[in-house]
Amino acid sequence: MKWGMVIDLKRCVGCYGCQLSCKAEHGTPRGIFFARVLKQEEGQYPTVSQTFLPVLCNHCEDPPCVEACPTGASFVWEDDGTVDIDHELCVGCRTCMLACPYSNRYFNDNDQAYYGDQGATPYEEARTSQHQEGVVMKCNFCRDRRQAGKEPACVANCPTVARHFGDLDDPKSNVSRLIKERAGFTLHPEKGTKPNVYYLPA
Amino acid sequence: MNEIKPPRIVETAPEGDEWIPSTCNLCYGTCSILVHKVDGVAVKIEGNPKSTVGKGRLCGKGVSGLMTHYDPNRIRRPMRRTNPEKGIGIDPGWEEISWDEALNEIAGRLKKIRADDPRKLSIQRTTTVYTMGLPWGAFAPGFGTTNVSEGGGGLHCGNSAHQISGLLHASWGVLPDFQYCNYALYFGASKGHAAGHNSNSNMAQAADARERGMKMVVVDPMCNFAAAKATEWVPIRVGTDAALALAMCNVLVNELGTLDIPYLKAKTNGPYLIGPEGTYVRDGETNEPLVWDSKAGAAKPHNVADSEDMALAGEFEVNGVKCQPSFVLLKEHLKKYSPEYAEEITTVPAENIRRISAEFAKEARIGSTIVIDGVTLPYRPAAAIAFRGLQGHRNATFNFFAVLLLNQLVGAADVVGSCLGFNPAFDGIPETGRMGYKPKASVDGLMAVGTWMAYDPPYPHPEPRKPEEMGLQDLFIMGMTSPFFNSEQGEELWEKFDMPYRPEMLINYGANIMMSIANKDLIAESLKKLDFIASFDLFLNETSDFVDIILPDRGYLGCYNTRPNTPYIFSHPAGMGDWSWAIQQPVVEPEGEERIFADVLIDLAERADFLADINTAFNAVLDLRGEHRLQGDRKYSYEEICDADLKNNFGPERGLEYFKKEGVVTWPKTPEEVYWRPFTDARVPIYLEWMPALGEKIQAISGPAGLDIPMEYYSALVDYLPCQSFECNHDDFDFYTFYYRDTLHTNSFTMENAWLDEAAQLDPYSYNIAMNTASGKQRGLEDGDVIQLETEKGRQVKGRVHLTEAIHPEGLGIAALCGHWAKGMPVAEGKGVFYNELLELDWENVNPVNLTLDLCSKVKVTRVEESR
Repeated sequence: MKWGMVIDLKRCVGCYGCQLSCKAEHGTPRGIFFARVLKQEEGQYPTVSQTFLPVLCNHCEDPPCVEACPTGASFVWEDDGTVDIDHELCVGCRTCMLACPYSNRYFNDNDQAYYGDQGATPYEEARTSQHQEGVVMKCNFCRDRRQAGKEPACVANCPTVARHFGDLDDPKSNVSRLIKERAGFTLHPEKGTKPNVYYLPA
Repeated sequence: MNEIKPPRIVETAPEGDEWIPSTCNLCYGTCSILVHKVDGVAVKIEGNPKSTVGKGRLCGKGVSGLMTHYDPNRIRRPMRRTNPEKGIGIDPGWEEISWDEALNEIAGRLKKIRADDPRKLSIQRTTTVYTMGLPWGAFAPGFGTTNVSEGGGGLHCGNSAHQISGLLHASWGVLPDFQYCNYALYFGASKGHAAGHNSNSNMAQAADARERGMKMVVVDPMCNFAAAKATEWVPIRVGTDAALALAMCNVLVNELGTLDIPYLKAKTNGPYLIGPEGTYVRDGETNEPLVWDSKAGAAKPHNVADSEDMALAGEFEVNGVKCQPSFVLLKEHLKKYSPEYAEEITTVPAENIRRISAEFAKEARIGSTIVIDGVTLPYRPAAAIAFRGLQGHRNATFNFFAVLLLNQLVGAADVVGSCLGFNPAFDGIPETGRMGYKPKASVDGLMAVGTWMAYDPPYPHPEPRKPEEMGLQDLFIMGMTSPFFNSEQGEELWEKFDMPYRPEMLINYGANIMMSIANKDLIAESLKKLDFIASFDLFLNETSDFVDIILPDRGYLGCYNTRPNTPYIFSHPAGMGDWSWAIQQPVVEPEGEERIFADVLIDLAERADFLADINTAFNAVLDLRGEHRLQGDRKYSYEEICDADLKNNFGPERGLEYFKKEGVVTWPKTPEEVYWRPFTDARVPIYLEWMPALGEKIQAISGPAGLDIPMEYYSALVDYLPCQSFECNHDDFDFYTFYYRDTLHTNSFTMENAWLDEAAQLDPYSYNIAMNTASGKQRGLEDGDVIQLETEKGRQVKGRVHLTEAIHPEGLGIAALCGHWAKGMPVAEGKGVFYNELLELDWENVNPVNLTLDLCSKVKVTRVEESR
């Protein structure tokens, strides 16, 4: 099987629910976002349009980050095609970050606590401080949640129900069907990475 | 490429964890939540899928609540000032004190004031947790004061939005019937796009509607949020919405003639006969307004004639008085709003006004019906809605009314697909029948609301009197909140009206009125004059500089509330679906000595000797019956009162323990509840007959005091009336500023939330001043320059400019109430732009009908620093 995500740009309203529910799920340190929302303006006044573009690791089929990784820390899960990082092996060289054409990898060298000298909050102690420092971090399609039978946090939480998650290998899955019916596309196909995150046009 | 490897990451499931149901309160949208706790620490907040309020999903603010809860800058112990000098930025010299010490001092003062004149106590609350109002609803009358205000009635309150929605839809607000609407016309609103009442459920419903093909045309100076998702963005000059809406009404009435005549006859006061004085011609015997019965060829009381026989056109003579149906007067009145005239005012091309009006009229499908759950109902899948944006102007009342009038003309009001009030009809809890309400006919056959969230309902209104309330709402009886409540401008007005007392003490609950009203210096002066201020807060904010005793509040994750979503006119999904009744309960222990504010209020009532009175007030406010009534001067915990409230409504089996475990109770709505209008024998006004007389009555009181009422605001027929900012005609003052709500922020509160602040810093708009790219380039500005905005009267604010194509060339858009300077909110400090610094706080800048403050200003722009 191959996990994939479909993000419906027609439904997304840029509420930041994905970016922040991801942060809440993983307790990522300051400046690190496994999911983000970008805002793009197109056209000229008054025929202007705004697109809200949620982004995350594309879990590419040909991931340049994995290829670039000198230690083997970046890898693809055999059973589901997701791209992950083994932090035991990551030496924090950041080669993968340069290789990722989507800038969806982050190096954890920030303050672990959001309130600096005031120390970690009980929440941060429970969540944020679990992250290893000096390594590269990114979205793993919420592996822990999936193993508990849940959808990734950003998918389960999206207030507009703009995000769909499923098996791209199964032509009958919700994601395969949406991509086919609504002309799903990927970001920067010219990079040849074959992303497993698709978008439906606004 | 590295080879694919077997798993090496260790996965552990948390053990001994629990999920506790409660309610979000990062805004007043009050979505139902589940809080995940592991070893006593809250580690995640998710939406509660059992509830229809939020439907298991949360916005960015909602999922970030833990950062507010665990913020190390939270106040954790009661504190008293040691520095007697009060002023902006002057350190009060806080020292920690015990709860006993704090409450004894506050209670001592309460006792003294209560014996003297209880009105000298004022209470200010934030709108963010407006739904936590029940304990205040008992404390204030129990003590004996009506001087209660929410957030100062400034930037965040929808005074006119609520009032006119109440008048025409019996609800706190309106939105399109997303499930069936095919054409939604938005004016200064972002319903369904991550803000406001019922935010999350609306987002899903609006997305469904978009996917289904609903067209959405958004009138707004800025193309953000709703406009970004619209089929068409209609940029408009700031504050001119009424001119556009009235021109559209004119096109419907006088150019297209596309009207729902049966609706106008049966459900509006359009057929009521108006005499030469502009007032109803009344039946000599019953005093009811008369209509012309075309079939009988005679005048009859509105409640006697069949609506289908009522004339909407013609001129008649009744008892020697010449008269016409009010609809004729409206029709004539609208003629001055030609699309060409509106184009000059609004900058919206006349051809677009005609086209959009025609689209709206066509999509309304006048005369059609549809069957929902076996019930045949009128089908009008077009809606014109409005909210906070267009009503933040001096012409607030008419701006809002003009938009909603569009629905009345085509009969698109509370029927399938149309403009819906939020849940104005509710049959009650199924098992007990309790808590039900519905709109009904009242004075002159016009509709009165079934339930309301403020003292005075929108109709019929009480008689104005010489004011004795601090906010003057007993004179300006259509005002729900008032910016004069806590401001030095209030003092000037109180002097004019010989107010028999002055406020001496303020109890504040979370409001930061130094930032939330306007002109902070006037607020500061009024706060300095008070003898004593006690304040329940989460953080030491700008208003804390004037507070004497600070009380640490437990916040939304530490309190009880039995009615976060009821009455359902405030924040509950409209349209078909379910009713949900959720509660709010403490899910985390206090980090310090924070207490539940409701228990503190009861404690104060005990110490100040009015326990019996607060119990009586709780009995009245909660309508507690039989064994559930609170007795005498017995002291109850708020937990006990919540249990009584729930059992009183849901029966003995479903008290607080039940709800603490279940979190929410859900059951289906009926079509008769949702589409109540055809089943309700009540009319709504398209002609505000009583308004001129009301204006005269107010003038009779205010005129002699030296305050003249501009009577054009009290016209029976609504008009476009320009804001004060339009009076400024100097060449170099060439931008209209406006304020808008950001999806990432609530009021002035959430900038201290480290996650939301971080997201806002990365957002191109949140903390910046949005300016049209061409307008900026013409003035030599570059994106990222720091600019200064200055009003004609010298009020100034600085901020970084973001050049964008997505804004009207004359507008400057600023989000939320940022720009904090308090040291107690270090995350928020210095972020974004303090919009209110531009705003005057005076009589000339409020709506003379309901005191809504005008939020636009005209400014000149100068560059003070080049972009980095």
